[in-house]
Amino acid sequence: MAVNEKGILNRLYFVAGCMFIFGIAVVFKLLSIQFLQGDKYRALASERVVEDVVIPANRGNVYSINGNLLATSIPKYDIRLDALTPSNNRFEKYIKPLCDSLSKYSGKSSSQLEKQIRRARAHKNRYFLLARDIGYSDYIRLRNFPLLELGAFKGGLIVEQTTKREHPMGGIAQRTIGYERVDEDGNITRPGIDGAFGIRYLRGVDGQRKKQQIGKGQWKPLNDANEIEPKDGYDVYTTIDVNIQDIAHHSLLKQLELYKAEHGSVVVMEVKTGEVRAISNLGRTRSGKYYEKLNYAVGESHEPGSTFKVIAFMAALEDKVIDTSTVVDTGNGRKRFYGRDINDSHWGGYGEISAAKALEVSSNIGLATIIDEHYSANPEKFLSKIKQWKLNKPLGVSIIGEGEPDIPEPGKKNWSRNALPSMAYGYNLELTPLQTLAFYNAIANNGELVKPRFLKAVKEFDKEIESFDKKVIVEKICTDETLNKIKEVLKNIVVRGTGKKLYSETFSMAGKTGTARTEYWMKDWKDNPRYVSSFAGYFPVENPKYSCIVVIHKPSTKVGFYGADVSGPVFKRVAQKIFTDTPLVNEIKSLNVKVESVEKEYDKFYEMSEIYKTIMPNLIGMPAMDAVVLLENMLVDVKVELDGTGIVKEQSVNKNVKLKKNQIVVLKAS
Amino acid sequence: MGKMQAIFKNVKGDRLIWAIVTLLAILSFLPVYSAASNLAYKGGTGNTFAFFIKHFMHLFLGFVIMYGVHKIPYRYFRGLSLVMIPIVLVLLGLTMMQGTTIQGANASRWIRIPIVGMSFQTSTLAAVVIMVYVARYMSKVKDKVIAFKESILPLWMPVFLVLALILPSNFSTAAIIFLMVLILVFLGGYPIRYLGVILGSGLVCLVLFVMIAKLTTGPLNVKVVTWENRIKNYSNNEDTEADYQIEKAKIAIASGEIWGMGPGKSRQKNFLPQSSSDFIFAIVIEEYGLLGGFLIMILYMWLLFRIVIVAQKSDTIFGKLLVLGVGLPIVFQALINMAVAVELFPVTGQTLPLISSGGTSIWMTCLALGIILSVSAKRDEIKEQEINEDDPLEVLSETI
Repeated sequence: MAVNEKGILNRLYFVAGCMFIFGIAVVFKLLSIQFLQGDKYRALASERVVEDVVIPANRGNVYSINGNLLATSIPKYDIRLDALTPSNNRFEKYIKPLCDSLSKYSGKSSSQLEKQIRRARAHKNRYFLLARDIGYSDYIRLRNFPLLELGAFKGGLIVEQTTKREHPMGGIAQRTIGYERVDEDGNITRPGIDGAFGIRYLRGVDGQRKKQQIGKGQWKPLNDANEIEPKDGYDVYTTIDVNIQDIAHHSLLKQLELYKAEHGSVVVMEVKTGEVRAISNLGRTRSGKYYEKLNYAVGESHEPGSTFKVIAFMAALEDKVIDTSTVVDTGNGRKRFYGRDINDSHWGGYGEISAAKALEVSSNIGLATIIDEHYSANPEKFLSKIKQWKLNKPLGVSIIGEGEPDIPEPGKKNWSRNALPSMAYGYNLELTPLQTLAFYNAIANNGELVKPRFLKAVKEFDKEIESFDKKVIVEKICTDETLNKIKEVLKNIVVRGTGKKLYSETFSMAGKTGTARTEYWMKDWKDNPRYVSSFAGYFPVENPKYSCIVVIHKPSTKVGFYGADVSGPVFKRVAQKIFTDTPLVNEIKSLNVKVESVEKEYDKFYEMSEIYKTIMPNLIGMPAMDAVVLLENMLVDVKVELDGTGIVKEQSVNKNVKLKKNQIVVLKAS
Repeated sequence: MGKMQAIFKNVKGDRLIWAIVTLLAILSFLPVYSAASNLAYKGGTGNTFAFFIKHFMHLFLGFVIMYGVHKIPYRYFRGLSLVMIPIVLVLLGLTMMQGTTIQGANASRWIRIPIVGMSFQTSTLAAVVIMVYVARYMSKVKDKVIAFKESILPLWMPVFLVLALILPSNFSTAAIIFLMVLILVFLGGYPIRYLGVILGSGLVCLVLFVMIAKLTTGPLNVKVVTWENRIKNYSNNEDTEADYQIEKAKIAIASGEIWGMGPGKSRQKNFLPQSSSDFIFAIVIEEYGLLGGFLIMILYMWLLFRIVIVAQKSDTIFGKLLVLGVGLPIVFQALINMAVAVELFPVTGQTLPLISSGGTSIWMTCLALGIILSVSAKRDEIKEQEINEDDPLEVLSETI
């Protein structure tokens, strides 16, 4: 007797009792988690599982004045493979086709790729790089490869999108177009237009979306819509003209390469408005190549040298202390001022010459004498002109990092008795190329000094948000009389002065050369002299449209260093090319223009070729080439000899004569 | 309406069990729906309602099974269990053969039903069948003095065969089935001294299996190493996947506090890998607080109580053992699941019957409940009717 009902029930009560106790234990543990350990775990729970994820706004584009893209943001993709995610079946099934596809895409061998991916799987690599920084179309292509097309959870596809700023024009004006870059320490560099207008216009407003974490590294959006919609940045239209920019860039590049110069810049500005049409800054790398290293034209203050003589000369003219005809004694090319010699580049000197001539030949002694003679008793008078022309202040251009001008003053550290004569020919003071250009532009613009500008308009698609007009700094820098005189001198400099190598009969330019020593305070200067060669001016002379400055630092003196030789040609090339190369319209409408006479001739040819198959037609009056083609396409093989071109005048076989095989037909054409 | 009334009229058996089961089923919808949102999002379709429908279909089919089974006079289960043992063995064998591997480990717990295209966990069916079989054997020998040797072939051989086929893929299920069988034979009056022998030989078999598995290099080895690590980590408190789950489960329980965070507000469902099945109890507490947890616990305890009542009232030994054999495992499994969530027990992967999502679990629980209801429905039946010589299955059962 193994069992009876009572026995079963007694044992059952025991078992059920045990289970009941087990249940009580669970409840106890539950209570202990909630009340004893509760705070600890609730603290863990409150770790953020909901986060505001930033949706970056699209940065606006930078356009040239003609609407070409200068800077734009493009999505780039990194494609990676979580080599552990695919199941064995899928992995084995798709690994070969995947590698074949990848091999076609990348050019690497398929077996090599397979080896790498298998190794990644063996090493539990969940982040195996397949392609970096690829464009959208490539991303779409890769996404449809075997295995990858199964997506993240089955195929192990990992896609990371980043936005890259691209300059479609390449290296041209890169430094001026600029960018905004954040380095690893969070420091932001903002060169150029992109940098200057990034915060105000281009950046836009980032959006926000609440996302909840749903596991390691995975987030799902909490709501259907974004909490804050991202607002895309505005587009910025610059004043840069890509055609002129291209000319300026290549002219400068050619000259820098020729002279193996350290760096150089060229700026082209529209006279009336101060809009910068082109700005190119090229620096030399160790390998001897040039690229946009720094914005020298805006940022680099340096001793301008002879281009400043024009300013000194104008101050004297305006103060009526001299006239263009005032005689200056430049002596034998060497003159002592307060214990220091000033030399002229022309050996032997110019003797007694007019003031205008002194500027034309760029005589250091001439200018130093004029300024010292008339202002040494009262240097402030001279300096007040400089101040009136705002040359002591930065222009306040939008690009960040404009160089500060440095003008000495009595009482300041860099002032001495020699300061004034030195300034007269452009030493002992510092200006940026753009500041010098602004002044020359004022001469060309009938005395109105306008601020150089890089920005034309700000737009949201086609809607104009803001537009920018010229900003006048000084209404009239001097009298028309002074202006006319200085313009005449500037014109003559190119006709017969230091710039005469640039003279062209067909095209008028005005400007001033400059050859300044640089780093002359260094010991090795004598053995290795270094110069800054420049040319500033405007064109055409009669009705100036553009002003332009070219500054080239440290050309190889073995090749040459004079402003007229080094920088002048760039100026000339830019000036000439702007007026010959810039197409008046940007596109040619159609090449398929129907010319009536051509149409007519073709009709006639077609008609005759249909009729005459074996009989000689009348070819007189037909274009010779048409006649030859017609004969050669006949059903009878004849040999055609053509004498001359144009219209057929004679034919050796008369019309309506049946042609024989291999018969020779001679056509005479005029 | 008439049809519905007819069905209700036909509902027999312990009404309270019906009520408890229905209540559990209804309660299961919200937590499963909530926990599945995560799965739906990760799965890519984002359709949480599909999971709702699926769960509903599982439960609906479960109730159909339960209703159908409770209509069968329970004496038929004697013979059925006999027929089912070889079928279950074949199915278990098939499951093992077709094994899919997950991360290199043989995780073949599932078999695909060819035409329906659904997956089915064969070990769960095997558990019910073996319990009925053991109940049948114990009731058959009720009048004899049980000799150990005599019981080896008809009782322990089928049990060990089934366990041996489940063990490689699912240690915890095998262990629970073994324990349940031991409890059932204990209830059936199997001598306790023999139970010790059986328990001992079971352990020896396990050790042998582990040692052999460790000699191989295939998936079995990986599996065994996984077990070792789990057991080690439970005692060592090292950071593992299981620890991660347990920590999240405890965070869920702690954040539920008394009233809970509210339906669908669970956060940990996003981090608990098996939030809609193995760790549903934690999610229930997070969303419905201690109250929700207690309610579930009370319902299972009440179910235990009703099972005891049905067993008491059953007039036959087979009836009693049958009810306990299929009924106690339901409550036991529920307790295990809850114990895992509160870290009273190592992570095992047992579902919470009727609450957790997952077809097999729901259907087999309903099958077991159907059997219990069938016993409770037949308790007024006359004892003599139990043996019907005309029934071929009964004849088969009696002759073996």
